[in-house]
Amino acid sequence: MIANPYSGADWNAVVPLSIVAVAALVVLFADLVTPKGLAKRWVPVAISAIGLAGAAFTCGEGWGHSYAAFGGGFMVGGFATVFQEIVIVAALLSVAIYAHVGEDENFSGGLALLLWSTSGAMLMAGAGSLMTIFLGLELLSLALYCLCGLSPRATAGEAALKYLILSSAASGFMLYGMALFFGATGSVALAALAGQAVESNALFLCGTALFLIGIAFKLSLVPFHVWVPDVFQGAPLPVTAFMSVVTKAATLAVFARFAYAAVTGPHAQAILAPVYVIAGISMIVGNLGALAQTDMKRLLAYSGIAQVGYIVAALAGSTALGLRYAIFYLAAYTFMNIGAFLVVALLSTSKEEGSALAAYRGLGRTRPVLAAAMVLFLLALAGLPPTAGFVGKILILSANFDAGYAWLAGLLIAGTAISLYVYFKIVGLMYGRHERPHPTEVRPVAPLAWAGLVACVLFTFVWTFDPLGPSNVLPLVK
Amino acid sequence: MNSALLPVSLMSYVGLSAVIFFIGVGGVLLRRNPLIILMSIELMWNSANLLFLAFARVWLNNAGHIFAFLVITVAAAEAAIGLAIVVVVFRRTHHVDVDDVRLLKG
Repeated sequence: MIANPYSGADWNAVVPLSIVAVAALVVLFADLVTPKGLAKRWVPVAISAIGLAGAAFTCGEGWGHSYAAFGGGFMVGGFATVFQEIVIVAALLSVAIYAHVGEDENFSGGLALLLWSTSGAMLMAGAGSLMTIFLGLELLSLALYCLCGLSPRATAGEAALKYLILSSAASGFMLYGMALFFGATGSVALAALAGQAVESNALFLCGTALFLIGIAFKLSLVPFHVWVPDVFQGAPLPVTAFMSVVTKAATLAVFARFAYAAVTGPHAQAILAPVYVIAGISMIVGNLGALAQTDMKRLLAYSGIAQVGYIVAALAGSTALGLRYAIFYLAAYTFMNIGAFLVVALLSTSKEEGSALAAYRGLGRTRPVLAAAMVLFLLALAGLPPTAGFVGKILILSANFDAGYAWLAGLLIAGTAISLYVYFKIVGLMYGRHERPHPTEVRPVAPLAWAGLVACVLFTFVWTFDPLGPSNVLPLVK
Repeated sequence: MNSALLPVSLMSYVGLSAVIFFIGVGGVLLRRNPLIILMSIELMWNSANLLFLAFARVWLNNAGHIFAFLVITVAAAEAAIGLAIVVVVFRRTHHVDVDDVRLLKG
């Protein structure tokens, strides 16, 4: 008999993501046994919400008890916990959108895929070895390919095909980079890459280039961003909201761990510099791209490209403070971005998603509450007070100046200036003197979606205190 | 690192896998048929597998073998999903060519 190499602590580490994955199975089973009717929608939603809440709770238990499980393959506590909680909250809010606008056909199937995708993102957030990164990434992506195509609309299949081809090719780049890392160190642990000796290794340098191309693609940084608007527009609304935060948060966790714990030699900043350059370009290109858009989902896709540029910029210089501020901004972005998607969901009719910009004309009079909420989210995305977006941007600016990346701060300010026009165009549309009959169809009341909206509004306001101690957030790879 | 364990030199493995990888990249960029593109993506993934196996032998570390198995498993799942999506798109257009897939623009 072979002794079990893993202790109870190892298995405890993966309890949160197991809960999410098992909840997905329960959703599928419950779908078989619930009778037709309203229960068909509410039972799966309730199970998913309970599963995610349970995962959030067990994950929170790990806070302050940092350790490496499975021989360094999976990290628990601190940094990983923060990212996992962000992913879980984003998934919960997406489930609220899904409960409102999800199509009856394949309803629980889509929900189950959403949960599996979430568990993949949680795995990435804690990944400490190349294998877990790859496994988490593919679990996240494979479920998302299906989700993109899960809609009878013609654009959904197209979005799925584009996402599948481009994302798998990007995974190919990343995988080849990982193979080169393995060749450079003879180990699949990220921690093995740390140190001066590896830094001058040609295999490591080529691997870094390919690995970072994969990361930049998943983060939608500029030369690799062309898929984002198409996929975001074509995918069903809840999936778009989910992708806009969860893929980025999970990839950001991987990038941060790589930048802080694996590239540590004297030339670390030179090696990582290209990422910060494209992050700076993303801020400008993302906001310029958003100028011309007439579809809310496309517009938010472009603005998301710029937003992720701001977050990555905070990491420039690999300072502890920068990581803290990046996480702060990511948390704020989760609420303001999914909040905007919740408004779009609440404006949707059964025929069309409320994403055409024309549907926002005169909204200030027809749906004043939704319009006011949208204004708040747009202010936050633009980075104006009194929102978390403002605080986050000020913190990122200060981190950039401290780390000696003043040019990034300059690009951030220029990008923000362009974005003001984008966001105020929508505000002008909602409160301007336009007459347009608003679609009169009133959908059934959506308590979950409204609750999500209220939560987003509250957090966009209140998230101005910083709950993260610096020592807790430092990457735990060692 | 112990290159003497390999009957063929390590550089040959690295070179071959790089060639396969770039054939895959070329296929993704140049071919218009989604099925061929999916095959090219498989080439990219499998070139990485070759590299993992060669390095596993050199470093005497089984992690490379395990990684290759992991990649093969995930690639199978990915191919299944990819073909399903191609079928969904084909049902709508009755023709498979990525140039015809252009409802989304702007």
